[in-house]
Amino acid sequence: MKDNHITDIIDNTPFVDLSDSELQTIHVHAATCLDCERAFASASISSLLIKERTSEAAQDTRNANPFFETRVLAAWREQQAAPGDWSFRRLWSATGAIVASMAATTAALAVLTFVAPADNTTNQQIAAVVPYSAETVVLDQDQDDNQLTNDQVINAIYADDDEGK
Amino acid sequence: MKSFAGLGSMEGWLTRIATNTCLNILRAARRRPELVTSDLSENETEWLERVSDSSRAQPLDAEQKVIAADLAERLLESLPAEDRLALTMIDGEGASVHEVAEVTGWSESKVKVRAFRARKKAREALEKLMGRTGY
Repeated sequence: MKDNHITDIIDNTPFVDLSDSELQTIHVHAATCLDCERAFASASISSLLIKERTSEAAQDTRNANPFFETRVLAAWREQQAAPGDWSFRRLWSATGAIVASMAATTAALAVLTFVAPADNTTNQQIAAVVPYSAETVVLDQDQDDNQLTNDQVINAIYADDDEGK
Repeated sequence: MKSFAGLGSMEGWLTRIATNTCLNILRAARRRPELVTSDLSENETEWLERVSDSSRAQPLDAEQKVIAADLAERLLESLPAEDRLALTMIDGEGASVHEVAEVTGWSESKVKVRAFRARKKAREALEKLMGRTGY
């Protein structure tokens, strides 16, 4: 019979949260068990006392500080709005990561914009001075050695004429 | 105010501070002896007699509410601070076990155990009072 006592049920759950099935179990058992009937009555009164005490305390708090929350929030906003080192630290702690990542992105874009085009210009200038490509030089080596340019031919002819004179 | 990081809710931050402060005060205070029948005033004895008689069940008037709150205060004073906190928050304010765990920093299991013990002690204390007064 001891296993069927309902004290565990009433100690495990707030009295007002007892379900219908739990209340039915309690009433069925308490009808034949004086100890459990007394325990149930005591739990009921205990719950009532605690509710009344909480309600009274809440009323006292409201009466003592009717605008407590408003005043606390106002003080907090004032501190947040106040200029100075604390505000800057707060601002930095909240936005520091975003600002740092934005700065890094801007720097990377600047490098890509100004340094990379300068390299291209240098290559273009070299290409203009040297009118043949590296491939031409490598592949056409023999041809260059065997063929004379027009200037070389003309120079050679006129040089012979000058020597004859 | 400077310790408020502004990341969570202000209500939670204030509740946590208030809870810890109250717990420290309660821990520092001496535990009072068990509530006995001789401690009850005449009004409190009448109040207990009235509420334990289901045939006289009526809504409490303002004076009876004050008597109930005083009696509850003395009943709760006989409990350990942590048991008292769990019982007041869950049974009094209707907080969930999860909410109490968040506010106190305890595990949910600890909250349940504290509330269970508190209910049992409060119930047994009232049973003794009512048994001795013959209700």
